[in-house]
Amino acid sequence: MRVVLAEDLYLLRDGLTLLLRSHGFDIAAAVDNGPDLLDALLTERPDVAVIDVRLPPTYTDEGLQAALAARREIPALPVLILSQHVEQLYARELLADGAGAIGYLLKDRVLNADQFIDAVRRVAAGGTAMDPEVIAKLLAPRKATAGRVASLTPREREVLAEMAEGRSNAAIGHKLFLSESAVGKHIASIFGKLDLAPSDDVNRRVLAVLAYLSE
Amino acid sequence: MDKVRTAAVAPLKGLVLAALALPVFAHGLLTLLLWGPVLVLGLLALAPPPIQASRRVTNLWRRLIGAVTGVAIPVPYRPLPPRPGPDEDGAYVHEDHVYKTARAPWLFIRLSAWADDPASGRDLGWMLLYPFVAGALAVLPAALIAAGIAAPLLGYPMWTVAAVPLGLAAGPALVHLTGEWSRRLLMPIPPRKLARKVARKRWVEDKGLILVRGAALGGLALLGLPLLLMSLAGLVLGIGLGMVFLLPPALQHFRWLANLRRQLARDWSGVDIPVPYRLPQELERRPDGRYRVDRQLFKSERMARFNARFALIWKDPANWRDLLWLAIDPLVGGLLGLVPILLVCYVWAWTFAGVLALFGVRHGTWYGAVAGNVVAAIPAGVVAAAVGVWLAPRALRWHGWWTSILLRPTRAALLAQRVERLTQTRTDAVDAQAGQVRRIERDLHDGAQARLVAIGLTLGAIERLMETDPAAARQLLAQARDTSAAALGELRDLVRGIHPPVLSERGLGDAVRALALDSGKPVQVHVDLPGRPPAPVESAAYFAVAEALANAARHAEAASVIIDVRHRDGVLRMTVHDDGQGGADPAKGTGLRGIERRLGTFDGTLAVHSPRGGPTVVTMELPCALSSPKTSTSSATA
Repeated sequence: MRVVLAEDLYLLRDGLTLLLRSHGFDIAAAVDNGPDLLDALLTERPDVAVIDVRLPPTYTDEGLQAALAARREIPALPVLILSQHVEQLYARELLADGAGAIGYLLKDRVLNADQFIDAVRRVAAGGTAMDPEVIAKLLAPRKATAGRVASLTPREREVLAEMAEGRSNAAIGHKLFLSESAVGKHIASIFGKLDLAPSDDVNRRVLAVLAYLSE
Repeated sequence: MDKVRTAAVAPLKGLVLAALALPVFAHGLLTLLLWGPVLVLGLLALAPPPIQASRRVTNLWRRLIGAVTGVAIPVPYRPLPPRPGPDEDGAYVHEDHVYKTARAPWLFIRLSAWADDPASGRDLGWMLLYPFVAGALAVLPAALIAAGIAAPLLGYPMWTVAAVPLGLAAGPALVHLTGEWSRRLLMPIPPRKLARKVARKRWVEDKGLILVRGAALGGLALLGLPLLLMSLAGLVLGIGLGMVFLLPPALQHFRWLANLRRQLARDWSGVDIPVPYRLPQELERRPDGRYRVDRQLFKSERMARFNARFALIWKDPANWRDLLWLAIDPLVGGLLGLVPILLVCYVWAWTFAGVLALFGVRHGTWYGAVAGNVVAAIPAGVVAAAVGVWLAPRALRWHGWWTSILLRPTRAALLAQRVERLTQTRTDAVDAQAGQVRRIERDLHDGAQARLVAIGLTLGAIERLMETDPAAARQLLAQARDTSAAALGELRDLVRGIHPPVLSERGLGDAVRALALDSGKPVQVHVDLPGRPPAPVESAAYFAVAEALANAARHAEAASVIIDVRHRDGVLRMTVHDDGQGGADPAKGTGLRGIERRLGTFDGTLAVHSPRGGPTVVTMELPCALSSPKTSTSSATA
C-alpha cells in the first residue's frame, strides 16, 4: 500500500516512516512542505496520505488546504490529517464533499501504534477515522439543546459515537460488550430517530451521521 | 307659494336663531369656567360629568339649529376607547402605573381622549363666536323689516319700499348662511384641515422650543455675571492680600456652569465639547519620605496635597480659558441667546400699542411707535417677529460654536489627555501580560512539567524492571504513555488559551466560527473581513468575542446568539447579540471589564446595551487597518 507522508518535523516524519514501513506500507513520498505535498499527491496518487495540518511555508493550515485541493482533483483520495489540536470547523470542511476516506486525528494518537495503523488502513479502505475528541465535541453541546439527537438513549449515543469514529458493528459490539445483532438494532433505532434511510455501507452511514451532526 | 312662505318665515327663524345666542354663549362661558377648577385645582375627577352634559347640550344646539335652518349638522365626537379591563393579576395598568380599580385609568383615558378630540375646541369656539355671527346674520332680515315698518313713522316712507322686500328676499339666504357656518364648526373636522392644524401646532411647538432654549442659554449667560464678580473678588483678595486659599475656588467655583453649557451645547446646538480639565495625579512619595510636587518637596502630606491641588488648578489653561469665557459670555452668549426671543415677544408687545390705537385707545408715542406712528409699529413688529423666528435656530447653533471656542480643550490639553489614557491602558496591558505569563508559568510547572518528570521516573523504573519483571514493566509503559498523552492534552489547552491555533491558521473569521461551533448553543456568525488585522489586534478581538460569547452562554442563559464581525472605515466592529435575560452591566461584571481593558490597549471601545429582560447587544470596536486583501465573506450557523 503506497503512502504519501507530509510532516515538517524531521523526527516525527522519520518515526512515522519507520512505523508505516514496519507495518508493510510503502512510502511513496515523504515531504515537509505544502507545495511539495500537493505535487506529490497529484503525481503519486497514493493509496493513502498521512498529512500534518500545519506545514511550511506559512505554518498555517497548509496541509489541510493541500489535501482539500488534491481531493478536488482526485475525488475520494484517502487522506488522514494529523494535528496538534482538533477543530470541528476543519472536520466539517474535510467531510463536506461526502466522499468519505477521511481521517482526522490528534498527533497524540500516533503513540498508540496499533490504533493508528488501524485508522490508516480504515481510511485507505474508504472509511473514516475521526478523533474521539472531535466526536465528543460534536456530540457534547447537542446534549443540552433539544433536537433529534437529544431523543437518543445514552446507549444509542455511545453507539453513535463509536460509529462516527469509524468502527464496524463487530468492533462496536466488542468495545461496548454487546452482541453484533444488538448493535445492529441500536443502529437501526438511531437511524429511525434521526430520519436517516438505513444503508449497508458503513462509510455512508457514518458520513450521514456526521453530516447530520454538523448540520 | 312655498317660496313666499319660506321668505315669510325666514325673519322669524332669524329671530329664533338670535334668541339662541344667549344660552349658547352662556354655555360657552360655563365651559371655560369649568376648566378653572379642573385644571388649576387639579380636580380632574369632577370633569367627566360636565363634559358629557356639555356634549349632550351641544348636540341639542346641533339639532335645534339644524331644524331651524334646514342644514343637517353631523355629530363629530370620536368614540371613546374601550374601558380598561383587568390584567391576569386583576390589576389595571395605565402607562407606567398599576391601579387597583379601573376608575383612575378610565378617567385618564377619557380625559386624554376628550383633550385629543378636535371637536372639543371647535365646539367651544362656535359657542363663543355664535352671538356675533348669529347676531349679525340671523337678526338682519327681521331688523330690515322692522326698520322698514318703522320708517314711515319717522318720516322716511321711501325706506319701507326698500327695506321690507330686501329683508324678505335676503331672509332665507341669511338663515341658511347661519346654519352653514354652524355646520362648518360643529361637524367633524375635515382631514385636510386637521392635518394643517396638526402641522401648524407642531411648527409653533418646534419654533417655541428653539426660542425657549435660546432664552434659557441667554439667561444662563447673564447668570455668569455675578459668578464673574465673585471670581474677580477671589482673585483680587487672593493675590492682593495673599489669601491664597481663595485662588483655587476663584478659578473653579463656576465649573458647574461651564459643564452645563458644554452639555447644552451638545444637546441643543449639536456642538460636541469635551471636558478639558486636567486630572489629579497620585502624590509621588520619595524614598526619603518627602512628597514631591513639581520641583518642590514637602514633608507633610497635607501641604503636599494642597500644593498639588493648587498647581493643578492654577496651571491648567482650561481654568483660565473658563474665566475668560465667563467674562465675555454675558455679552456674546447673552445676545445670541436672548435676541431672537426678544424680537418675537417684546416686539409683539410693542405692536399691541398699535392694535390698541386702532381701537381708539391713545397713550402717546413714547412707547411702541415707529417714526412717530403707533400704527406703523404693527408691520414693523410682524417683520421683527419673523426675523426672530428665522434667527432662532441659527442663533442656537452660533451659541454652540461660541461656547466651544473657549470651553473646548486646547490641542495641548487633548494631547495631555491622550497621554493620560495611553499611560492607563499601557499599565493595564502590562498587568494583563504579566498575569498571563504568571498563569502560563504556573500551568507549565504544575502540569506538563510535572508529568514529564513523572514519565522520566516511570521510565527509570521500567529500565530496572525490564529484566526482572517484564509484565510490570509493560504495565508501567502503558502508564507512561497515558501520562504523556495527558501532558500533551494540557499543553494543547494551554496553547489554546495563549493563542488559539485556528486563529493563527485561519484568521479571526474562522476562529470565531470555530468558537461558535464549540459553544454548544445555536450561534449565527456573519463575517465580512476583506483582510486580516494585525496579529495583536486580532488576538484581542478574538478573546473579546470569546468572553462576550461565554457571558451570553453562562450568565444570560441565551437560547441563541448572533455574532457579527465587520470592518468599516478603519474600524473593526464586532457585535454579539443574544436573546437572554439581559441586565448586563460593565460596571459590575469582571468579564466585561476585562474585555474593556483588553480592547483599551488598542484604543478599542466596548458598548453594552442590555435592558433587564434582554436582549443584550455587546458592541466592540477596534480601530485598525487590514492587511493582505483576501476575501472571506460568508455566513455560517452552528
